[in-house]
Amino acid sequence: MIELTSTPIMLMVILGVAGMAIPVINVIRKERGGSTFYGAIAFAALIISIGFVMYQFYSESIAPAAIFSADVLVDDAFGSFFAIAMLIVSIITVVGSFNYMRNRANPAVYFSLILLSTIGMVLIAFSTDLVMLFIGWELMSIPTYILAGFNKKNPISNEAAIKYFLFGALSSAIIIYGMSLVYGITGSTNIGEIIQGFATLDADLLPIGLLAIGMLIAGFGFKMGLVPFHMWLPDTYEGSPPPITALLAAGTKKAGFAAALRIIILGTVALNLDWTLALGVIAIMTMTVGNIAAIMQKNLVRMLAYSSIGHAGYILIGISIAPFTGLGLQASLFHILNHAVMKGAAFIAVAGIVTALAVTHLDKIKGLGRRMPITALGLVISLLALAGVPPLSGFWSKLMLFGAAIDAGSSLWWAPWLAVAGVLNSALSLAYYGWIIRKMYFEGETEKRIKEPASIIAVMIFSIIFMVTIGVYPEPIIKFAEMASPTLTGVVMP
Amino acid sequence: MANELIEFVLVSVALLAVGIYGLSVKRNAIRMLFAIEIIVNAANLNLIAFARFMPEAHSGGQTFALFSIAIAAAEVAVGLSLIIVAYRLYKNIDIADFRSLKG
Repeated sequence: MIELTSTPIMLMVILGVAGMAIPVINVIRKERGGSTFYGAIAFAALIISIGFVMYQFYSESIAPAAIFSADVLVDDAFGSFFAIAMLIVSIITVVGSFNYMRNRANPAVYFSLILLSTIGMVLIAFSTDLVMLFIGWELMSIPTYILAGFNKKNPISNEAAIKYFLFGALSSAIIIYGMSLVYGITGSTNIGEIIQGFATLDADLLPIGLLAIGMLIAGFGFKMGLVPFHMWLPDTYEGSPPPITALLAAGTKKAGFAAALRIIILGTVALNLDWTLALGVIAIMTMTVGNIAAIMQKNLVRMLAYSSIGHAGYILIGISIAPFTGLGLQASLFHILNHAVMKGAAFIAVAGIVTALAVTHLDKIKGLGRRMPITALGLVISLLALAGVPPLSGFWSKLMLFGAAIDAGSSLWWAPWLAVAGVLNSALSLAYYGWIIRKMYFEGETEKRIKEPASIIAVMIFSIIFMVTIGVYPEPIIKFAEMASPTLTGVVMP
Repeated sequence: MANELIEFVLVSVALLAVGIYGLSVKRNAIRMLFAIEIIVNAANLNLIAFARFMPEAHSGGQTFALFSIAIAAAEVAVGLSLIIVAYRLYKNIDIADFRSLKG
């Protein structure tokens, strides 16, 4: 049995109590509005959670990245890493929503759903059982369907939510079908036993194993926005309320990677299948399609949505070469954390622009650098970090990813090409990021400065400090990523 | 024993095919939701059949099927509520008409 004071259980209790209490308080208060009050409760719960994860981590009561556990949950460094990344995203989202939700209906439900979705993401990262993984997946997804359509009088928001819901429900259906096949051929729902079952699989059951892994890649790929499965993503990101876009792009996407790492990668290693080339091809396709489509966009949100598809491709570089070099997985984890903050900050900056000016078209943000200086500065820093400009956090994780790809070249002839594609794509992405920056600073007449939402400023300052600090001094996070990445060599127990 | 298992799995694969056919041909949101539910039920049938007929399988499959049914119900509730809101806004639930977001 897993202890009651372990990280996942305590996070479930803290976030669950706060998430359930907020609607109850709303009923008791009998007042409308109060977004700051409910937001403050959610913010406090998230801060307590992240403090608890860090305390658990530094008091060294956490196991090193474990793959096997007899329980449904494991309290390990891998889960803690993802939990910290996702809690940071939720904090950014909650704080960024303070001003957005003012004067909008049902703030209590809104913040409660963000907390419940966060529980789902955290549970995915800690789960070592298919049943738990699936429950966490749905607990994460179902609240975000409602959040995407939260502006229910707005047809665009509803359209985004319906598209997101249909693709999301299809992805969970495919995942559970794949999981049923995995259960059928290995006879267990525990991931450790499944990996061993895969390693000793009958040769005539191998096609079913292939089919099951393929279905899981497709199902999780929908949420990660990998290329053949990405069509819902730009529409949903554009139509959803902007802070929720930050949660989707930075949070649920990373949870998809957590789930994929927990099962798919280990499964392919144990099955002795050469899926690395397939994943490498998907990585190159994902980043190229994402970046080329981003160049053609005229809308800031869509441009960032396609750039977020491109970044899924960069993360996948490290995952596809993981069986050959330990550096690959570390680089992916590092980029996952960095991308969570960079993309979260960029979308919250957009949320600030929408809150203050109600525009997202690129031509309408001319002269933003003078009208909303702090928001514009935050957007610029996060865009430069996303492009991988040296003294910022994105540079180090991209360097590690491409370095790992070249490092794997000794055993995989095509791995250096991943690095080449990644560098070319980074250059391509700098073109459209530079275009946004040009629009904001070098075009448009001088207009008067307008009042910027206070909560957006808070998020911007936090993210700028985070990105610059990690850019100047990345060692602690790299160490953390190193501890959090499970070793894939010798995964299969004799 | 083994033959019965194959019958169940064949039915499940047929249900999966029906679901995928429905998703690719129909454009009505509720029909698409039904098609997705058929796929989920195909998976549930698989889980229960494996738990019943595989000698080495532990009973986790039945637990999984129970959780899956409950979760599918929650998902359908959310999906239908979104479709009702769409009907109020558009007077129509044909997803081919939801095309204000493009590019």
